[in-house]
Parts: sequence; C-alpha cells; structure tokens
Amino acid sequence: MVSGPLPWLLPAVGVLGLFYLYPILEAVRLAFTDARLFDTETQLSMRSLGSMVGSSTLGVILRNTLTYTVASVVGQIALGLAIALLVVRAERARLRGTLVLRTIVLAAWVIPAIANGIIWQLLFSEAPFGAINSALRLMGASPVAWLSDPSNAMTSAVIATIWQGTAYSMILLYAALKTIDPALYEAAAIDNARPWERLWFITLPHLRAALVVNAILILIMTLNMFDTILALTGGGPGRATEILSLYAYGTVFQNFELGRGAALSMLLLIISLGLTMVLIALLPRDRR
Amino acid sequence: MNITRPSLFAALMATVLPSVVQAEDLITRNRVGPADAENALTFRLTAFDLYSADEATAEAFGELFTDFILDNPGWRIDTQLQTGAIAQEQARIIEQARAGRGPDCAMIDSSQLATFKQAGLLAPMTPFFSDEEIDDLFPFVRDGVTDENGDIVAWWWFTDLRVLYRDVTQVPDAPETWAEMQEAAQSVADAGLEGILFNAGRDEASAFDWLAHFWAQGGALVDDDGRPVFFEGENREKFLRAVQLYADLVESGAAPARVTALASYDDLLASAAAGSTGMFIGGNWMYAQIQNTMPEDQAANWAVSALPGPSTDERATGTGGWAIAALSDDPEKVEICAGIARLYAGPGNAFQRLLPTSAALYEEYEEFAGAEFEVFADALEDGQARPGVPIYPEISNQIQILLGDVLSGSASAEDALDAAAAEVMDAFERL
Repeated sequence: MVSGPLPWLLPAVGVLGLFYLYPILEAVRLAFTDARLFDTETQLSMRSLGSMVGSSTLGVILRNTLTYTVASVVGQIALGLAIALLVVRAERARLRGTLVLRTIVLAAWVIPAIANGIIWQLLFSEAPFGAINSALRLMGASPVAWLSDPSNAMTSAVIATIWQGTAYSMILLYAALKTIDPALYEAAAIDNARPWERLWFITLPHLRAALVVNAILILIMTLNMFDTILALTGGGPGRATEILSLYAYGTVFQNFELGRGAALSMLLLIISLGLTMVLIALLPRDRR
Repeated sequence: MNITRPSLFAALMATVLPSVVQAEDLITRNRVGPADAENALTFRLTAFDLYSADEATAEAFGELFTDFILDNPGWRIDTQLQTGAIAQEQARIIEQARAGRGPDCAMIDSSQLATFKQAGLLAPMTPFFSDEEIDDLFPFVRDGVTDENGDIVAWWWFTDLRVLYRDVTQVPDAPETWAEMQEAAQSVADAGLEGILFNAGRDEASAFDWLAHFWAQGGALVDDDGRPVFFEGENREKFLRAVQLYADLVESGAAPARVTALASYDDLLASAAAGSTGMFIGGNWMYAQIQNTMPEDQAANWAVSALPGPSTDERATGTGGWAIAALSDDPEKVEICAGIARLYAGPGNAFQRLLPTSAALYEEYEEFAGAEFEVFADALEDGQARPGVPIYPEISNQIQILLGDVLSGSASAEDALDAAAAEVMDAFERL
C-alpha cells in the first residue's frame, strides 16, 4: 500500500494537470505553429512568434498594457487600503454603518466585468444627456471627452477597473488589518505618535505580506482583464486603450489566427510570471 | 341528459387539453418537435426569433416551427442558442464543425460566409431550391452564397443596409450629396444640436457604415484575387476622400468629436430619442425601432433616405444580414435545413419585417408594402456586401483604428492609411 502524501496529492495534481497545465501546453504548442481557425492542416513554424515580435503594433500595445496595469494595480491597492483603514477605524470607534459600507463596496465586485464596462460607458457618455458630464455642467464645469479623446480614454478605463477591483483589495487588507495587535497602536498613542507615523511604522510593515500577495493577485487579474475595456472602448479611439489581452482576443476571435493568438497569450503569461517573481521577492523571507 | 357544470368543465378540458399539451410539448427551450422523434437535426440559432425576448415574435416563430415540424413527421430539431458574441460564436461553430461536433444546421453572419466557405464546411443546398428561387436572389446575395463550384452552400435569409435618418423638423429635405449632408448637419449644429452622428469607434459597424462612402466612388478593397488594394492608385484617392468626409464633419463641428466613441446603433437611437441630433447614419432595422420606442408624434418626425454620395449618381450602401447553412453530410438533414431557411426567408422575414433577399418576396407579402420599404428596395440596388475574402476582418479592424486616429487628431489621414496598409499586408502574408 502506498503511503505518504502522494495518494492525497494525486487527485489535485490530476485536476490541475488536466484543466490548467494541459491548456497551457496546448497554447505553447499552438504558438509554434501557423494554425488558423479555418485551415485543416497546420505546420510547425516560427511564423507566429516572428510576426508577433516583428510587429510595429506590439510596442504600442505593451506601452498601453504597462500604463493600464500599473495605474489600475496602484489605484486598487491604495483605494482598497484607504477603505479598509476607514472601516477598521470606524469599527474601533463603534460607529454604525460599517457593514453597509463594506456591502456597498462589495456590490461593485460582484458585477461581471463586461457589465462594469457597459455601466461606465453609460456614465462616461459624452452625449448631451451623459451622466457624469451632465453633473459637471450642473456644477458649472466643462464636460470632459472621457472616451473619445485618446489622452483621456485610458484614464477612463483605469477608473472603471479601479472601481470594480477596489473591493477585492479592501477585503484582503481589511482581514490583514484585523490581525495587527491593538496593543501596538496603544503603545504608539502613549508615545504621541502622529497618524502618519502609526501608518508608516506600524500598519504598513505589518501589512507587507498582505500587500504583496494582494498586488500579485490584482496584477494577474488586471493583466488578463479585457472584457471591461472591450465593452467600454473596444480598445479605441484608434489603439489608445488596446491592451495585450484584448489584442490577443481580437487576433483569435476576429482574425482567427490561433497560432499568433497563442503566441500573444504566451507573452502575457511570461509577463505575468516575471512580474509575480519580482513581487514574490518583496515578500518577507518567512512568507516565501 | 342532465349535464352538471363540473362534468361540462371536465369534458371541455378533455377536448382542449391534449392540443394545448401537444403544442407546448412541440416547442421547448432546446427542442422543436416530439422528444422521441426518429430523426434529429441540431440547429444553432440566434436569440432574435424562436427564443426572442419579445413574446409576440417568439409566439409567431413558435407557430411557424410547429407547422414546419408537423409537415415533417419523424423529425425533431434540437435547438442550440448562440449568444450575442457573434465573432466568438461563429468561431466556435467552425472549430466544432472541424472536430466533427458542429451543428447540422446553423445561422451564419453574412460577414463570416467567406470564412465558412474557405474552410469547406458547408454542404451544397442547390437541389433543395428551385432555379427560379436562386435566380431571384439579389446579385450580391447570390454571389455570397455560391461556392467556387457554383453550388448554393447557404441561404441568405435576410439582408440589411445603411441609410440616413433625419429629423424632418431640422432637416426637411433628404440630402442627396455629401455637400448637402454637410450643409444640413452644419445648419443643425448651428442651432445647438448635434448635426449628424455616425459610428466611428472600435467596432465592425463603424468600418462597414463608412465603407459605403468609399464604395460610392467605385473604390475596391481587394482585387479579383483577394489581394488588398484599397491603399493603392485610384483606390487610395477614393479612400482618403471618404475619410476626409468624416474628418470635415468633425472638424467643422457638424458632427461631434464623440463619434470616435460611438460603436453601437443603440447609442444613435438614444440620441434620436433624446432629440439631441438632427441626423444619423444607421441600419434599416432602426426604422421599426424608432416607430416602436418613440411616441407617435416624435417618431413621425423621423424620415429615412438613401445614404448621400459624392454626387447624386454615385451611391452605395453596405448590406449585411444572416444566412442559414447546412454543415452535415446527410442529404436528409441538408433538406430539413433548407426547409428551415425557407421558413425564415419567407414568413419569418415577413413577420419581423426584415429585408428579404429576393425581389419576389417583396411582392408576395403585404408586410413589405410600407413607404420605407420603397426607400430600402431602391437603396438595395446600390447594395454592396463585404468582400468574401478572409482578409476582410483585418481590413475592417484597420479602418476602425484609422477612423479613431484621424478623427481624434492623433494622425493624418495619409499616415494612418499607410499604417493600416502595412498592417493589412502583414496579415495578408500570414494567410
């Protein structure tokens, strides 16, 4: 009879292998072919990879991806942390309504990404009856070209993404904040530490692991996010908001270039893995 | 005989119930016909008819399908719904069909017919349609559904086209040329409204709506061999002139700069309903939407006309629509599929008041007697379908990018066209 961890691990390894590893290996195989959806025969080829690397568009797409990802991840963590701190502070002060606040923030998170894109498209509408611009007009401000101006469109996409993803950060960081020993804050109060000193010398160091794990998860989710942008701008105007995941989606589902789409997906995977490794290096040594 | 009320009720139910139960059993969410039928055909359809959210439409198609299945005893149609993600759904059908798991019969977006034909997945339907029926198809439709062997491999059951809508209180007379359209739009804009709206965001609708202006000048996207030529010689000049039309409208303020964020006909309809625009370029189906969604007096203000051209003699309009095709080798299934296509093309089309693809149907059904159908039928004479070549999706993609770049001032028309040409030729060489 087999003893040890193997029998316990086998089912999990089997499921992971079948549903996660196999599709990745299949995508790697496709990336080294010239497969197109309507071709019955495919050949091993470096053409997909070569056309991807040699494309003049790839630079624009990667620059958009970098801007979108960095701004969205930083925004989600900062806002999530701010709301988590607010909720914890309110709970300590025994204020009512913290549950309602958490529920409201969570409501954004449960909305499907594609619906999130549509909601923000309505809000950002530049028609005379567009919601946000109408509010701006009421306040005497000029309307903003949220989606039609290439220099504003990326900002709008980032706002829509942050609005939805903040709840996830808030939950993780709220849980981590609850684990910090209140005695540390009491001692700091005795020492007359100012609020920013408490945040900088107590809260953030104790949140380091949670912040890094949060950053890793949000980074992967944001890099793979394409449905919000698809619904919001479709990647436009021009290519102003076209990020790598959306570019790969279009390559496969509009141009039917399976090989090239797989090559782009591999690039996305490599970027995700690389950035994850960088973030893991920031974890406290005992948490790696 | 003394008949009591309960017994009368029971007798009535005994008479009525079987037919009600039978009718209900014949149409379910995934089947048409008896569950235990000897033969089954899988049919991949969209959600706009038999399973429409509109009860009247679903009921009308339910009756048509019930009659159809009663006329074909021994058959059951296993229905499979396509979602609204058209490109994904069409790709899925191709992938499944190639793996031998595809539907026997499917609705295919006319823009994807070339891809299906190239993949060699469609079964010939020629024996199941008469020569008269085939000859009566509009030429662009017949070309689209005919393969290289001369076989009919799909039945294009309805078409659509792009037209100009105008609020007659703002623009009383239909503009017939680009100059008249620009003048009318400017006059509306000067009055404080949006002069004219059109899609210019990242969506196929933007490229296809705009292409009418290129085609009106006789421009060609590809040559006879399917090689892209829109950026060369005379085509280049025509292409740039059509881009300049939109650029002039935006730069002059006759069209708002927000057109680069418009990628849905619903947005255009919303502006029309809000009374904030004087004109818009939309699809023929929007006429019924205007009539159904606006108050009667407001709807009466909206008129439809053919898209203006550079001159009154130079007109074109993009024509799309959906086809039904068989993906089975079984001749009996192909025949049933052809029957379904005929059902949609005739009475189904008449109920929905979509545009038939053959002239005879306009005469056959009184539903097509409205004045708007005269406009549509006339405009169809200048109808131009998407070129049936596999490079078209990338050409469309590049036109969408070009329009966004030029109209937002990010690139000149010349530079944007050069960039688009380079991308399209790269993609063409990968085919």
